[in-house]
Amino acid sequence: MRCLPLPYAPRAVLVALLGLLALPACSDEEDDTGTPDAGQQVRDAGTQNDAGTDAGTDAGTQDDAGTDAGTDAGSSAAWPVDFSCEGKEQRTLTFNAGQEQELQNAVNDLAECTTLQLGAGTFHFNNAITIRQNGITIVGAGKGTKGEGTGGTASTVLDFSNAVGNSNGIDVVGKLFTVKDLAIWNAKKDGLRIENSTNVFIQRIRTEWAQENQESNGKYGIYPVKSTYVLVEDCEAYNAADAGIYVGQTRRAIVRRNVAKQNVAGIEIENTKYAFVEGNTAVDNTTGLVVFDLPGNPIKGTDILVVGNTITGNNRPNFASVQASSSTVSQVPAGTGTFILASRRVELTGNTWGDNNTVDIAVLSGLAIEPDPTQWQAGFFNFNSSDVYVHGNTFIGGSGDSVDNGTPDAERRPLGALVYAVYGYGAATQGVTHVEHLLWDGIDPAPRNETRLNGANICFTGNALPATTQASLVDFDLQAVSGHLRSSTPKLPEAWNETRRYAQGAAPFNCSGFTPGLALP
Amino acid sequence: MRTPFFPGLGLAAVLLTAAVVSCSGGEDPEPSGVDAGDSTPDAGTPPVDSGTPDAGEDAGVDAGVDSGTPDAGEGDAGTPDAGDAGPGLPSVAIPDTLSGFGLFTGSPADGGLQPVEGNIPYEPTTPLFSDYALKSRTLYVPPGKTAGYHARDVLDLPVGSIITKTFSFPADLREPEKDVRAIETRVLVRQPGGWEAYPYLWNAAQTEATKASGGAVVPGIQLIDEAGVTRTFDYLVPSRNQCTKCHHVLDSAKNQVMVPIGVKARYLNRDHVYGAQAANQLQHLAGLGKLSGLPSLDEVPRAPDAFNPDEANLDTRARTYLDINCAHCHNPKSTAGDTSRLFLDIASTETLNLNAGVCKRPGSAGSGVGGEFDIVPGDHSVSILWYRLDTEESGKMMPELGRALRHDQASRLIADWIDAMPARACE
Repeated sequence: MRCLPLPYAPRAVLVALLGLLALPACSDEEDDTGTPDAGQQVRDAGTQNDAGTDAGTDAGTQDDAGTDAGTDAGSSAAWPVDFSCEGKEQRTLTFNAGQEQELQNAVNDLAECTTLQLGAGTFHFNNAITIRQNGITIVGAGKGTKGEGTGGTASTVLDFSNAVGNSNGIDVVGKLFTVKDLAIWNAKKDGLRIENSTNVFIQRIRTEWAQENQESNGKYGIYPVKSTYVLVEDCEAYNAADAGIYVGQTRRAIVRRNVAKQNVAGIEIENTKYAFVEGNTAVDNTTGLVVFDLPGNPIKGTDILVVGNTITGNNRPNFASVQASSSTVSQVPAGTGTFILASRRVELTGNTWGDNNTVDIAVLSGLAIEPDPTQWQAGFFNFNSSDVYVHGNTFIGGSGDSVDNGTPDAERRPLGALVYAVYGYGAATQGVTHVEHLLWDGIDPAPRNETRLNGANICFTGNALPATTQASLVDFDLQAVSGHLRSSTPKLPEAWNETRRYAQGAAPFNCSGFTPGLALP
Repeated sequence: MRTPFFPGLGLAAVLLTAAVVSCSGGEDPEPSGVDAGDSTPDAGTPPVDSGTPDAGEDAGVDAGVDSGTPDAGEGDAGTPDAGDAGPGLPSVAIPDTLSGFGLFTGSPADGGLQPVEGNIPYEPTTPLFSDYALKSRTLYVPPGKTAGYHARDVLDLPVGSIITKTFSFPADLREPEKDVRAIETRVLVRQPGGWEAYPYLWNAAQTEATKASGGAVVPGIQLIDEAGVTRTFDYLVPSRNQCTKCHHVLDSAKNQVMVPIGVKARYLNRDHVYGAQAANQLQHLAGLGKLSGLPSLDEVPRAPDAFNPDEANLDTRARTYLDINCAHCHNPKSTAGDTSRLFLDIASTETLNLNAGVCKRPGSAGSGVGGEFDIVPGDHSVSILWYRLDTEESGKMMPELGRALRHDQASRLIADWIDAMPARACE
């Protein structure tokens, strides 16, 4: 997190300012329930007719999504398509290891609807594979297994160890793009970067850097950004210096059955609308699975469904945290299972958390990292976190007993340092030895109203808890705590007294979600 | 330490304004009617046979694929407009060798490349830095056609126009005429469907350059810099598709549309020696009948030489450097600008506000990039903008493509510029 400047804002000023925030009611509410893109965007996958008749058929068709339902099986298959290869010439080009330059030449002269078939083995590239065409598929012989920097008889490894600086592995802008069954090894920047694309299918790939805990590793393993209709499934991501799997600034995404380990952030959903995150394993990262909006971004994230994921043992020291910076992820304390920041309409169910040293789930306001509301203007003042529904999950315990692995750093990871201080006091004097399963910063809706205890509508119900759990949720009142601890004479008892603990089932956090409920994907 | 940052009513006013502005904006700038006029940023397979009408290639696939493509609408796009396109216009044939264009005689091995008549050499007032490469540039506008003048945007070049840029390295920058090795010639072609880019790689004998769609890495380039220090580095010839990383604007559906960068009036507004005669480049073009709409020179904007203090003040020179080196991505109509909201085009830096980087926290710069803010007025040493253009570390340096070495002069220029800003702490 960035330093927490809230206490430096006179409260009266904050009150006056935030009162004004009621004004922009003309946000994007109309988007929040329907299928915003389906109608205006595209043809309908089931009924399209490509042959020269595109121009008129999609205009104004508002109900494409509905007509898909009957004809397509599977969720992503029901997504409307922006581009289709149906009825077009489709060709396959095959390349084997040693034909890297031929592959590069072909990639840069591709006709649309071409499949690049890569043989088993190790391909050594000195530059990114840059794709700017529609309807392209890249398919290898298999993604191999963790630690394999060379391809075998049933795996294809694209090795970028000796690529020129500043290059990504595979870099794509295009519609209807598929990549599957290969590994991307030691990319200089991002492993797979996909930008401004629609109908993206990322299946059974592995992105990995050979060395763990290197800040100089590439930032992202799998990085679809500013895209629409994105599927990431059955992939693996290791050792990224930011996020193993990132989906950002995207509308409609499914992220399922992936494994993310040894990254700073395992899986990151950022400024994204309509994401379905299911059955992933996020283990041994600094933070496992995170959902947040960043300031200055025009997409206001919403409607995130997190189901059946395993988010345990995310205690890797934050190896991106090399100096004070604005990078959100580099400021996360080690041992954060999940953090949800500046996000709304997030439902988490059927997941497993445990053995995360700092906390299983943190729910934070965007103001905790960027207190100036005007900085959130681009996203319609999307700093608030609200409507977070945590129910039917399993908390196996072992979490919250060693904040930031016991090595707090007020400069680089200030939030962790505050939590560390408060719980150090709690353990010493109050008999509270663990941070509760869910830590809420108590900021939204700002300004804080002490008579309205759950104005953000955070609901925590029906979760399986360890027998030792007493309170399961804490209202940390970060603003007040920060004020007490960041003064010239830090007041620990006063800080502690600002925090409030709630057992599961206790009002007002025993609410049952939000309406309308999520309908994803 | 941090100081109170909510200056009371001042911010309230800003906030109100912001709220109003945001309300009129609408949040989802999503594509509507994606197919209308389409999209394909890079019109795909370039027809290699001259004279094949484009319509033939595309027939039955997506009628109108070409006609709409390049019209990126307002803003910097300008260049290709639908009026030029049309099924009847022939494509420029793309030869496998540079000589196949017929744009030059001679070769680097034989007295140097000589542009043929009609292929007009030019130089910008301030060039884009590319690892100290020497560059020679030409512009070809086909017979009977003219480019349209724009005060701000790229000249409106007609179908059939060809821009070339040849990158060479001398053994010693202090003697740039001696022992020059040509590496590549980049060719931008205005096809009926829009601009397309082709790199040509020079052979070791320096007699011919061959099309290298996939680009190339030329390892171990060695040169002695102006300080007498030997520098060795791997030089990247960008692939065709990498060209779009810099050479694009976003159209209204946020599709990338390829455009030239440097062929703007303000950069062309300088003298060049043609034969033995010096003339203003724009007037020269107009005199040849290749440029229409050129106003009198005192009405034409001019970007100064960023490194000549006699031409402009520090602020203008620094902003000019950022404009030609950074703004092709960092502008509101480019993917990277759209994502980062850091705008370094000459218009955006006129007011040194947040979008120009002042006290701006980057959305996702990662860690270890020198600071928390793009520009901290008065202190370049903690400004990310300076750090990124100063460093040679992969993943942190900018621009993303085309630089392996620090541009020492530019690092100094931008440092001076930031340091000259009235100092203030960022929050």
